[in-house]
Amino acid sequence: MSSGGNSNDKPVNGKLYGRRNFLKISGLLLGYTGLSSLTVIEAFAASHAQDAPAPAKIIHLTQSEQDVFVHLIKAALPVEGTKLPSPEKAAVLQTLDKALLAGMEPHLLAELKGGIAFFDAGPKAAYGGKHFTQLSLEEARRFCDEWADADAVEKRGIVMGLKKLVGLAYWSNPITWPHLGYVGPISKRTNIPSLGNAPMPTV
Amino acid sequence: MTTKMPSKGLPVIQAKDIKESRLSLTADAVVVGSGAGGAIAAYKLAAAGKKVIVLEAGPYVPSEQFSEMLAVGMDQLYQDHGGQTNLNKDITILQGACVGGSTVVNATVCFRTPEYYLKLWAKEYGLTNLTLKTLTPYFEEVETNLSIKPRTATESSPCADKLAEGCEKADIPWKPSRRNVKQCVMTGACLSGCIPDRKQSMLVTYLPWAVAKGATIYSDTRVVQVTEEKGKVTGIKAEVIDQTSGDKKTDMEIKAPIVVLAAGAIQTPLILQRSNVANSSGQVGKNFACHPSLSVVGHFPGLNQNFYGAWHSLYVDKFTLPDDGGYILLNGIQDPVEATLNTERGTGKPFMGYILESKDYVRFISLIHDRNHGEVLWEDGVKKVKYDMHPEDFPAMIEGMRKAIKVLFAAGAKKIFMPTSHKLEINDPSEVDEVLGSLKNEIARYRYVSYHPQGTCRMGADPANSVVNPYGESHDVKGLYVTDASLLPTSIGYNPQETVYTLSSYIADRIVDGFSK
Repeated sequence: MSSGGNSNDKPVNGKLYGRRNFLKISGLLLGYTGLSSLTVIEAFAASHAQDAPAPAKIIHLTQSEQDVFVHLIKAALPVEGTKLPSPEKAAVLQTLDKALLAGMEPHLLAELKGGIAFFDAGPKAAYGGKHFTQLSLEEARRFCDEWADADAVEKRGIVMGLKKLVGLAYWSNPITWPHLGYVGPISKRTNIPSLGNAPMPTV
Repeated sequence: MTTKMPSKGLPVIQAKDIKESRLSLTADAVVVGSGAGGAIAAYKLAAAGKKVIVLEAGPYVPSEQFSEMLAVGMDQLYQDHGGQTNLNKDITILQGACVGGSTVVNATVCFRTPEYYLKLWAKEYGLTNLTLKTLTPYFEEVETNLSIKPRTATESSPCADKLAEGCEKADIPWKPSRRNVKQCVMTGACLSGCIPDRKQSMLVTYLPWAVAKGATIYSDTRVVQVTEEKGKVTGIKAEVIDQTSGDKKTDMEIKAPIVVLAAGAIQTPLILQRSNVANSSGQVGKNFACHPSLSVVGHFPGLNQNFYGAWHSLYVDKFTLPDDGGYILLNGIQDPVEATLNTERGTGKPFMGYILESKDYVRFISLIHDRNHGEVLWEDGVKKVKYDMHPEDFPAMIEGMRKAIKVLFAAGAKKIFMPTSHKLEINDPSEVDEVLGSLKNEIARYRYVSYHPQGTCRMGADPANSVVNPYGESHDVKGLYVTDASLLPTSIGYNPQETVYTLSSYIADRIVDGFSK
């Protein structure tokens, strides 16, 4: 049970993110990280709709932050040549925004935003001054793999974390599961009866 | 007082049921936390005729509202929505945060406390009362009450069967797990709660039994202070929180001569630190251990496992005691969502191809007995878990993975995927030594998961180096008890749920004895 807030860290003020904060940011994203059940179901329902609804407005990310995620989603979740639903159809960005970021405490969201900016600026030195969003998809993939094996803790952490987020947001959507031979939850579908509460103990 | 026990579900007073902005209550005992340590204490005290109030910070989620979807279950049922980590945040620390606590979301793995540790605790911490002879009736009691027994031959999974085959070929002895389950229907969804109520968690056992004996349960209620006067506990102060908005709804105060803290090994010390009580030893929050684990994944083309079965059913403990290696190997079903988290296959097509082949993977978990070198702190208004993999523990993790890989290759794995930040795979047994030899103990290099935080209010005879006495009572504050995994003086290397059940039963009986004196 909780005795206090849900956060481990102090708020970050301003936009200067030192190494210590990068550690926090990178680690923030390493958890298993649950998806808010109500909002994820909304997002999943939207992705199931026959008449595709207008994409839900993104609330918790600026346009430049969305651009980073959109580029990462394209790089990390290619579906060409498969029967998999597109990340747009699977509402990956909407799931991230509505089901994950919406429930994040403000200071953690601020740290995440700092991490996204750090990640976006990451390729500048080695990729001719380009931001992540300016890399070709092949370059973006190479950049992610380089950072995943970097000496710097914060680089490994942030790329591992951001990739986990987009992977989780995509593959947790049930519309992706039939392609894996996974039929998802079975108890309700197959009407498995509940045993209810156990009888009072005898010892 | 005995009332009719509900056949299903629990009468829980939730935030939505409370209209008052202040609530003052009295009880014979307040139990803080409704998991393994709290529920048993609550039942035993209520069965002894005491007026018991149970407070749970998490929500009440009836089993029919479970999702059997890991990502959703994490949000619904886990501390910090599954995002709880160490300070450097490279170890995910999973704890249940709902009525029933971690017992709702655990993998049902039960072990009696090894006698090795009981002897060690007697020698090092003066716990001479906790002998095997004394505790055996308590093990038997909880095993009967929770249907803890070796799993049946069919209570397995294709992955576990494959690992059993590998163990036999590698001449590594495996054992069928003991589980607290009745008529398991093998949904493979233990970690997101058991919809058909087959898992004998506190939600369907000791909590409804406690209610039948008159206990009252409040959810959404987090304790902010333990109150005391002249060295005796007087009760608690708490806040009822609207889980949707996060806003405080009600200030609660309960006067009680007995307070039992069972909020888990992270929250219990935080409550004591925030209360500034029971810490003359300076040990509250110290000695944190968490059994870090890593999963290695074997590729078995054509295996076509179906993601279902008993989530856990097989283990290897030949190497578990510290002198034997300090690690245990456990199988665990890996659904596609977990597959995205446990290993790294590279970015783009390699990752997507990896998940598309999820049916062909077998995961083997290496979990280590670790040093109690961490610390849980309430600092600047937030919690901090200061713990990194200890350099002297890291070799045990490497050896655990070495054995897991050996079993996977013996079972016919064509390739092994490693739990690193970067893409790392082993294609042939001849590569194992070189790959494992290249691994260093680095932050944010591995995908650690901890399921067993423990040790932060350790039990002992000496008030100078322990928080509670050998009977679970604070050395400093009479009437204040701890009954959760905070108690454990050392890491025990095995899944601790049965140890917590047993210690809680033992301590609760001592509390009841105290009432009658």
